[in-house]
Amino acid sequence: MENNAENDAIIETKDVTRTFWMGEVEVRALRGVSLKIKRGEFVAIMGSSGSGKSTFLNQLGLLDIPTSGAVIIDSVDTSKMSEKEKGNFRLHNLGYVFQDYALLPELSAIENVYLPLMMQGKSKEECQNAASAVLIAVGLEDRLNQFPSKMSGGQQQRVSIARALAHKPRVLFADEPCANLDSVASKQILELFKKFNETEEQTIVMVTHEDWHMKYVDRVIRLKDGVLE
Amino acid sequence: MTLIFLQIVLFSSILGGVTVQFNKLMVDYQTGNLVIEPVEKEKYIENAASLQKKIEGLPEIVGSSARLRSSGVISYQGKEVGTFIYGIDPGDESQVTHLESAMLSGEFISRPDRGEIILGREVSGGYGALMESKSLGGVEVGDTVNVKIEGINREFRVKGIYSTLYSSTDSSAYINKADMEEILGVKGQANEIAVKTTSDISEEDARMKLLSLGTKEEVRTWHEFAGMLKTIESTLTMLRNVFSVIGLLIAFVIIFVVIYVNIVNKKRQIGVQKAIGIDQRIIVTSFVIQAVFYALIGITLGYLIMHCVISPYTVVHPFQIAVGPISLILDNFEAFSRAVLLFLAAVIGSFIPAYTLSKKSLLELIWGK
Repeated sequence: MENNAENDAIIETKDVTRTFWMGEVEVRALRGVSLKIKRGEFVAIMGSSGSGKSTFLNQLGLLDIPTSGAVIIDSVDTSKMSEKEKGNFRLHNLGYVFQDYALLPELSAIENVYLPLMMQGKSKEECQNAASAVLIAVGLEDRLNQFPSKMSGGQQQRVSIARALAHKPRVLFADEPCANLDSVASKQILELFKKFNETEEQTIVMVTHEDWHMKYVDRVIRLKDGVLE
Repeated sequence: MTLIFLQIVLFSSILGGVTVQFNKLMVDYQTGNLVIEPVEKEKYIENAASLQKKIEGLPEIVGSSARLRSSGVISYQGKEVGTFIYGIDPGDESQVTHLESAMLSGEFISRPDRGEIILGREVSGGYGALMESKSLGGVEVGDTVNVKIEGINREFRVKGIYSTLYSSTDSSAYINKADMEEILGVKGQANEIAVKTTSDISEEDARMKLLSLGTKEEVRTWHEFAGMLKTIESTLTMLRNVFSVIGLLIAFVIIFVVIYVNIVNKKRQIGVQKAIGIDQRIIVTSFVIQAVFYALIGITLGYLIMHCVISPYTVVHPFQIAVGPISLILDNFEAFSRAVLLFLAAVIGSFIPAYTLSKKSLLELIWGK
């Protein structure tokens, strides 16, 4: 992996723990995880079921609040942010790809993509241009005005990737993005991630449990029972 | 939303139609548009014919009927009924009311007739009378009844039996004015003059025209004259309001629950929007706008169906009920106030769940943890 800033960490976690309570039972999903992810790196978080990989991704993506420890993104200590500040930070700096695509069914592909851009206060023209460009980049130039219900799983996931990348986020988080796809569509999605990682130097953090995905990533972080393996 | 709007305005419109029909019956069969009565403390309008001639000179006046009115007792084969008996000029009366066309049996009295009477079905009995037991029990045309007015007994031959569906008129009887003058010992006087106006003038304007002629007598519009009708109308209005409140409460709960369930089902969608950084206020507003949009479409559709289809249809094909044919009358102010309340239901029904859900953590919204 060749990066312009080899030692430049875009994400740093310091002793992150996360404990859930299921009734009166305490579940320690993360038991103190400290690591760094470099700018422009494509990282896979792997581990067996219940290892804490999705929980860890949620901490990195500011979708959850750690019980203790800190998540620092681009030198910003997110533990000091209010909920509103975190929302704003996510809108401008982070992108998400969910396992089930999570598109708004009432909106077309291009509308789904330009929704976050619109929320950033960009003009309609800017939103439409950026949304079209990224949808073309993911290979959906002929599906711009199509609704999610008329698309295959792979196409919907590509719209989801376009939505996550349209505002050029500092980090893209993907939680098992190929879990609902067949191997052909999965390969297309991973190649797309790789393309954006290489051409745009896009930092990507992806949770997966498929070993064959490893060949697309720069580094694998393995978790076991809530700690780094 | 369309059906709910129709449901809450439909019942109200039926009651509105009933009220209008009550009013129509009274104007068509009893009072006409205006009623002239003697000045206070006087029993009669003096020189009624001259007053009639004067007012009938106005282009807005279709006709007038000077009536002598007295309470009396009508008896037949041992049965007695106390009632109001009117002495009328049949020709004049037909200019003001539709009594002539309300005959169930026999004929309406004519000017030369003497010693003949027409009875309302509540007096004669039979013909579907509502208070049969208090009637004469089935007098037929051609029978002779005894009429006692101010202590004077006279025999009258029944020339006709009528029903107007207006209970006050159906509980009365009519004889020729000349017969009544003879019994009461008066000439050229009247207890009241009923006046029919053209449809292009309001009752109040017509009243002012009559007064401007120098009429000294009391001139009242039918609204003022109808004490009993006002009681019925206010009862119907009260009923209408009670049913409207119940209807609105049910509508409010239905709309609230439907929108609430719809939004709760979009919990994950709210979570995703929040995750990608969409502001909580925008998420809540979008759901409220969506609900208001649906409400707007539904209510507009409901109003158009009521205004352009149901109401006009019932004007051409009125419902038959006990008081006669009624059409559904859509009160625009009432429709508007109901629409506003349904909008409120949509706003509250969408705001509460959207706000409550958007406050929840992302983990709970997206993964249900």
